[in-house]
Amino acid sequence: MLSFLLILIAAFFFTGVIIRTKSIASGRKGPGILQPIKDVIRLFKKGAVYSTTTSFIFQIAPTIYFSSVVMAMMVVPFGQAKGIISFNGDFVFFAYVLALGKFFSIISAMDTGSSFEGMGASREALYSLFAEPAFFILMGSFALLTGHTSFHLMFMALHLGSYVSYAIALLATFVLVMILMVENSRMPIDDPKTHLELTMIHEVMILDNSGFDLGLILTTGYLKFALYGALIVNLFIGMVPYQYAIMLFFAIQFILAVSIGLIESFMARFRMSHNPQFIFTLTSVSLLIFFGVLLVLGKFV
Amino acid sequence: MVVWSILLYSSWGITILGLLALPFIPIRFKANFAVFILFANALLTSVLVLPSLSGEALSFVFYAGSFVKEVPVKIDSLAAWFVLIINFTSVTGIIYGSGYMKPYTDSKAKLSLHWILYILFHLSMIWVCLLQNGFAFLIAWEAMSLTSMLLVIFDHNNTNTIKAGINYLVQMHLSIVFLTIGFVWVYFVTGSFGFEAIHEFFLKQTNIWLFLIFFVGFGFKAGFVPFHSWLPHAHPAAPSHVSGVMSGVIVKLGIYGIIRMISFLHADFVLLGEIIITVSVLTGLYGIINAAVHRDFKKMLAYCTIENIGIIGIGLGIGLIGMGTNSILLFYLGFAGALLHVLNHSLFKSLLFYTAGSVYQQTHTRDMEKLGGLLKKMPKTAFLFLIGAIAIGGLPPFNGFISEFVIYGGLVEGMKLQSISLISLLILTFAGLSLIGGLSILTFTKTFGTIFLGSEREHHHQEPKEVSMIMLLPQYLIIAMMLSVAVFPQWYLEITGKISYNLISSSNLFTSAFEPSILVAYSETMSSISLYSLIFVGLIGLFWLVRMAATKGKNRVYDETWGCGYQAPNSRMQYSGKSFSKPLGKMFNFLLIEKKNYPELTAGEIFPETRKYSSHYVDFFEYYFIDKMNQQILYFINYFKFIQNGRVQSYVMYGIVFILAIFVLTMFNLVK
Repeated sequence: MLSFLLILIAAFFFTGVIIRTKSIASGRKGPGILQPIKDVIRLFKKGAVYSTTTSFIFQIAPTIYFSSVVMAMMVVPFGQAKGIISFNGDFVFFAYVLALGKFFSIISAMDTGSSFEGMGASREALYSLFAEPAFFILMGSFALLTGHTSFHLMFMALHLGSYVSYAIALLATFVLVMILMVENSRMPIDDPKTHLELTMIHEVMILDNSGFDLGLILTTGYLKFALYGALIVNLFIGMVPYQYAIMLFFAIQFILAVSIGLIESFMARFRMSHNPQFIFTLTSVSLLIFFGVLLVLGKFV
Repeated sequence: MVVWSILLYSSWGITILGLLALPFIPIRFKANFAVFILFANALLTSVLVLPSLSGEALSFVFYAGSFVKEVPVKIDSLAAWFVLIINFTSVTGIIYGSGYMKPYTDSKAKLSLHWILYILFHLSMIWVCLLQNGFAFLIAWEAMSLTSMLLVIFDHNNTNTIKAGINYLVQMHLSIVFLTIGFVWVYFVTGSFGFEAIHEFFLKQTNIWLFLIFFVGFGFKAGFVPFHSWLPHAHPAAPSHVSGVMSGVIVKLGIYGIIRMISFLHADFVLLGEIIITVSVLTGLYGIINAAVHRDFKKMLAYCTIENIGIIGIGLGIGLIGMGTNSILLFYLGFAGALLHVLNHSLFKSLLFYTAGSVYQQTHTRDMEKLGGLLKKMPKTAFLFLIGAIAIGGLPPFNGFISEFVIYGGLVEGMKLQSISLISLLILTFAGLSLIGGLSILTFTKTFGTIFLGSEREHHHQEPKEVSMIMLLPQYLIIAMMLSVAVFPQWYLEITGKISYNLISSSNLFTSAFEPSILVAYSETMSSISLYSLIFVGLIGLFWLVRMAATKGKNRVYDETWGCGYQAPNSRMQYSGKSFSKPLGKMFNFLLIEKKNYPELTAGEIFPETRKYSSHYVDFFEYYFIDKMNQQILYFINYFKFIQNGRVQSYVMYGIVFILAIFVLTMFNLVK
């Protein structure tokens, strides 16, 4: 329950911090931290334009997309506090619930019959599928390391003892940050501020969404940031008492948002055709983690 | 008379009477009559096997002629599980088929033959599960292959269909060759064709080779790579209800055979488990990567079947490793997951084939690039396909997630093993399974999006409309069944757990006792998963209501799709399925061989004429291995062409020479 609330709060500021960082880095003052939330509230109040080609899929997809992330939020624990839902193998549930949301966002883009939106849909499907093995190998390695199979127990048992385990945590952070970038269509993978439909991924998928649905999709994006941020936080807090853990939570989320902003300010987007290779290298980083875990456990003789 | 004999004799009696009567039934009632016979058969055999599902095995012997002599029949829980799956899918298949075959009323004889074959096909599948004698088993197996082959070539005026049929026939006989070698080997060692003899054989001799021979033999049927190449030909060629049953059940009988052989195994579990897992992961990935690029939607479904066989195989491999490492939980999760996935796949794959058949019946094309926007014309079919697609992707809240979750659970449990090589294998399998999941989302979003969403890509001569109730009804039945698995997974898991326990109950494989407490904990997890899936559905409903309330009274404008500034878009400009999966095809171009067909612009051609461009993907194994091998064989065989010269005189001479040879050889006592 605690993690659910904390993720909600973090989601309020996360995107704002990114935008603000980008503005400052480019020498502008930039909008307030809460501007993204204000945008969404404005969208919620608006009417909507629907394409005549679309069907009920297009109408229901944003809701399902949003629900899937809310459901995934329930699974994420917070240090010693369980998530609302916690069971053995819950990380599989986490990944597959998110996948259902993605399924619907993809077919909703296909529903418009546009020549551009299918392009984004195709890329979204391809890139996110290449991020899957990295996440699963990461979680499998944690299961191997801790002997537990649920998020809560795994993160609780994750002690930072030796130097190798610091390296593991660092690599795991890297993998999770990159997965976050892929899932949220952020910079090295996709440029949310581009103005050419041919080079967009997420933005081109939602070209036809407007009004309440668009607001819902944007909110989902904010929540997703905080959701993956919370996973990263969990790598570090373990058994830390709540009063410090909560502060640590916001500190790490803040650092994450700032670093995303900095990455976006100083880095160019990858060439579209190089993206799959790049995402797939995440899997090899995950394999490194796996070997690190084998080292820690002394399985290498 | 005991109960089983009453049931079996009445099943045979009904079948024989029905088959004799079927050609004389008026064309209007033919299908209904066939449905009736099949339903009676299914009911009788279900009643027969139902007590064995969780309870004691039922064994009896019947006399079958002087050569085979006594044929033992044993209905244990494994056989019962498969018989029930066969019955359910065959019944939905024939109900659907009775609607699907309506347009073919002009060919009366063909239809009679079709329904006769279908009934025999169903019966032969059931007997494959029941017989416990190698010889009798092979006869049933052959009957199943032949009837299904004849069902595939229903549309026999089409050369491609005949080709697919012959391809299937040849490959099924390769399968039989391997199985025969296996049974004969057992016969030479133990002197018996009975299945118990296989157990004896495994006790005495090395386990690996005989098992691998059986694995190849059954692998042909199941469609493990590289024995899969009949599926993408046979499934599109067959009428949809037949492909649904074939894909849903007949390939599972290959799995049945493998599980049956596993139950006789005595040693080398870990090695065999490693082999099966490796083959299965490759099968799964190969199947789904191919499925993603094909534009013939029935071919896509056939490749997707290969993928699911891979997932089932992963479960079997985990189970075997559990048997070898003395880990009950691993054994349980592997086999129970695999058996549950057998059921689940038979449900959603037959559903998907039926919906594909409905689309084909209405549009007369299997090329998804010619379709589009069917959701508005066939809303029910589209909805059914969507549910099938979500379920087959293993996404909650449907049943596919349950069995995949159990198999994932097995893989995670496997992390607790000691051996580093096993852990490494399992973590790679883990990655492979997640990749399979992601790829199947790509495949099915592409297929659903291209066929049902957007707008019509090509105009059809006949306006497609929703199919008849008789075709929709079995699909609703399947969905009800799927939901029952999704909502009460613990019941099904309990059954499959018991089946896997019965498999090894005779042997004292595990040193520790079969502790129900671990399994109870797991079944609690399963029931909580179904609860969370329901919560998820509830959440979607809740947010939907919120959305309805929030958008009520707001301005809603309907307009064209935003064309990014372009004012005259047409339906041909939609993103096509081919372009959707092209990036994937490019990445895996070493595996997905694309053949392009187009005339180049010649040097002197100043005013180019209209030209056509076409491209298609060919199967890697078929192109590089099977076709090449066939060419070599043909090349060699060509030297013997002079024997078959078409002159009757020579053929008569061959006969005379043969008779003389026999005569002379017997005279000199060389042949007795």
